[in-house]
Amino acid sequence: MSATQSRDSSEKQASIQVARGQGTTRRGFLSLMTKGMVYLSGLLGLRGLISFLVYDSGPTTQTRINLGASSNYPPGTRTLVAEANAILISQEGGVLALSLICPHLGCLVGETPDGFTCPCHGSRFDRSGGLIRGPARQSMVRLEIEVDRDGNLILSMA
Amino acid sequence: MRPSFYHHLHPPTIPSPQARFRYTLGAGGISVYLTLVLLVTGILEMYYYVPTPEGATHSIQTLTFLVPYGGLVRNLHYWAAQGLMVSVLVHLLRVIWTGGYAPPRRFNYLLGVLLLVVIVLLDFTGYVLRWDEGVRWALVAGTNLLKTVPLLGNDLYILAVGGDQTGPATLVRFYAWHVFGLTLLLVVLAIWHLFRIRRDGGIAVPPPELRRDPRRITRFELARREGTAAIVASGVLILLATFIPAPLAQSIDPSNLATTETQAPWFFLWVQQLLKLGSPFLWGVLLPLGLIVILGLIPYILPLARPAELGTWFPQGNRSAQAMILILLLGILLLSLLAWLG
Amino acid sequence: MVGLNSIATGLRRTALIPAVFLLLTIILAGWHNNRRPRAIALLPSLTNQPEYCLSCHQDLPEISRSHPFQAFGCVLCHGGERLSLEADLAHRSMRGGRNPSDLTVAQDSCGGSNCHTGEAAQERNHVQRVLTSVQATYAGAIANLRYSFGAQPDLTARMGIFAIRDEHIQTPTGLPGLEAFAPENETNPGIQAFAQNCLNCHLSAEPLPGEETSRLTGCAACHSLTAGDDLDQPLHSLTLKIPYTQCNTCHNRGNYDLRNMHFVPRSDKPQDRLHDYYQPIAQFVRCEWTLDCIDCHTRYEIMGDGDLHSNQREIRYIQCRTCHGTLDELPLTRTITDPEDLALRMSFLNPVIDLGGGDTVLVSSRGEPLWNTRRLADGSYELFGKASGQRFTFRAVKGSACQQNTAEQESRYCHECHAVER
Repeated sequence: MSATQSRDSSEKQASIQVARGQGTTRRGFLSLMTKGMVYLSGLLGLRGLISFLVYDSGPTTQTRINLGASSNYPPGTRTLVAEANAILISQEGGVLALSLICPHLGCLVGETPDGFTCPCHGSRFDRSGGLIRGPARQSMVRLEIEVDRDGNLILSMA
Repeated sequence: MRPSFYHHLHPPTIPSPQARFRYTLGAGGISVYLTLVLLVTGILEMYYYVPTPEGATHSIQTLTFLVPYGGLVRNLHYWAAQGLMVSVLVHLLRVIWTGGYAPPRRFNYLLGVLLLVVIVLLDFTGYVLRWDEGVRWALVAGTNLLKTVPLLGNDLYILAVGGDQTGPATLVRFYAWHVFGLTLLLVVLAIWHLFRIRRDGGIAVPPPELRRDPRRITRFELARREGTAAIVASGVLILLATFIPAPLAQSIDPSNLATTETQAPWFFLWVQQLLKLGSPFLWGVLLPLGLIVILGLIPYILPLARPAELGTWFPQGNRSAQAMILILLLGILLLSLLAWLG
Repeated sequence: MVGLNSIATGLRRTALIPAVFLLLTIILAGWHNNRRPRAIALLPSLTNQPEYCLSCHQDLPEISRSHPFQAFGCVLCHGGERLSLEADLAHRSMRGGRNPSDLTVAQDSCGGSNCHTGEAAQERNHVQRVLTSVQATYAGAIANLRYSFGAQPDLTARMGIFAIRDEHIQTPTGLPGLEAFAPENETNPGIQAFAQNCLNCHLSAEPLPGEETSRLTGCAACHSLTAGDDLDQPLHSLTLKIPYTQCNTCHNRGNYDLRNMHFVPRSDKPQDRLHDYYQPIAQFVRCEWTLDCIDCHTRYEIMGDGDLHSNQREIRYIQCRTCHGTLDELPLTRTITDPEDLALRMSFLNPVIDLGGGDTVLVSSRGEPLWNTRRLADGSYELFGKASGQRFTFRAVKGSACQQNTAEQESRYCHECHAVER
């Protein structure tokens, strides 16, 4: 039996004996320990590798847009906000911001006389973004709007 | 245990005296391992590196400071590269000082010399990819050396630089060479070199009847020794990478006209010193090329070690080659030291 | 003994020690990786490029209301490597060291067509004006001295602290260019002594030691309030509310002794504003020591009008009549109609006065609005201190008991009656 073969079998023996609560050979134990250290090193390295690969650098564009004074958007108007891919709908009860990104697979929907239609797969939405039909399963996403202390509308794109 | 693919890459047994670390210094094997480290860390770096003048230093800084373990990956790549340069030189010295290049190993020796050239080019192209103020003038001086070649000079320059001066095209070309062209060449030559070792009969030893120590070790034992060396090398690399970071300076600013960092990369310091003597073509192109040619000619011109002497250090038969490489080594070290001191 | 031996052999055979070594180095690398400062990203809206300066500099105060860091970030003004978390690399490409407003880098730091190197017509060319101003070039002092010692034939300036050219000359006394004053080329010992002892008060000069004279260089010389402070303290502040004490880090510090060519600092220890304001050499009218310097002296006077001048006399033009008028004429005014009027912009930036469209402000003879003033309904005027915010009211000379000679309008004539005993 070569040196390697005898070490393998003594390792095997060692782990069986350890499992049974019996003693083990010195060589087998040391060999097992060595393998353990190397595997442990490998696992730690793997952890580091995964963190390395999934790093996200964060947003590179502003996520909040100042739309100006709310008086610029009187009730009854619909304003396109190009940088946010959204449309601002001002009504008597308040202001609504709809994301024009189709909730199905991300194409930009187009406006129609009675709402919105997505050109990619045909999803249809009403004038307030509610789902009428189409492969999309949800209504158009409503974006958050706040009013800051100077009376400006702040749109959150996230 | 049944031998794996890795085990089969090795002969069933090899002579024990020549298998000792004391004999080979493990320099060839460590070179193979460092090359593997470079391939892996290099691919990881490609996830983040951007080969444009605006993006280069920023992407390297992102990798170094912001990506988890990014700095470690970069530093491992840097130290493995410098370590590879050293280990192949040690391997070259070992081969010459043990006379191991005697026939039938002369062709493999030539492959080794070619590998040395490819590795130097890889180190230089990698260095340039930093595109920071530290490499700026080394790139300008180095590429301008190409222009000094008679007849072909201007074409060689455009081939390397991609324009009438160094710029975005240069960076893309150096990136392509470093990541693909030279790496492919390295891998092909390295595999051929390793194959030739087995074809030529393994590590140079005297014929069986002249061997004093008949003992041999198995391929399993050899693989185990290689594994141990790899583990130790990894540990040393990690220590170096953790405590001594790879250099990085601010991005090249074309409007900054002051030449601040003027030292060549360490493996070219000797050339920088020579260039202080006069004609760039003579000292910067002809002489280094001549050196490579001389290296390659050693097994063909100078006396060889006798078969009975193989497998030992400093055999009597090729003393002239040993002396010559010693003188070349000391000369290059001296030139490098002079350049480094200023 | 035998046991230890066989342990050693066994260890050698199993590479346990290298494996332990490897594991330890990996743990060490992981620990070292986590010791870095936590990366704090800032995405300024003007650049949209993330920068990480806040990872170390989170407790710096906002520099001014007009330069919020959420919009500007740090790198736009200071330069530097925005992605580096290592101090040495991060600071290596910073402009002007700790002061990006130093005149050598002010154009890059403070410049930009929407910032301070824009169109003169829109009053956005501050950096160009400061670079040509007498406070920066020191052209008057240099010309006077060289003329006095025979190095030049007249008082027209030929040299400044730095060489500069000006292609657009708008005033009759504007110069096309100045060379750099080079003391090593001067042969007269008087001029050499001047270069040695007397070049401490221009915008690129390091100040004299001492707290009364502590001031930064460049734009920060005036706009960062340092008077009476230790210059080693970090200061991250820009302001428009510049009190007289900041001007006095250079002005009113003493007298030149031209025979010995050195500066004699003032030796009085003033206890109140009246005595602290000016040197004890003359009498001044009440508004001259109650208001701050910038309440009267205009932007063109202090920061330059864009032309190179030989002497401060060519640029200093404010007079008592600018606010008070003469016996024959009311002071010049302008009613604000344009929403982009400079007066409205200035009062927005330094809100000591709430100007609006339709308000009437005083203007200087060159058309500069005195934006901290306003004509009131009853024909009198009000003024707000730019640094103090204090409100003052005053009347025009016309229709008052003033006994002036309308041909004599320099301030020394007004002083004859109105100056206060010190």
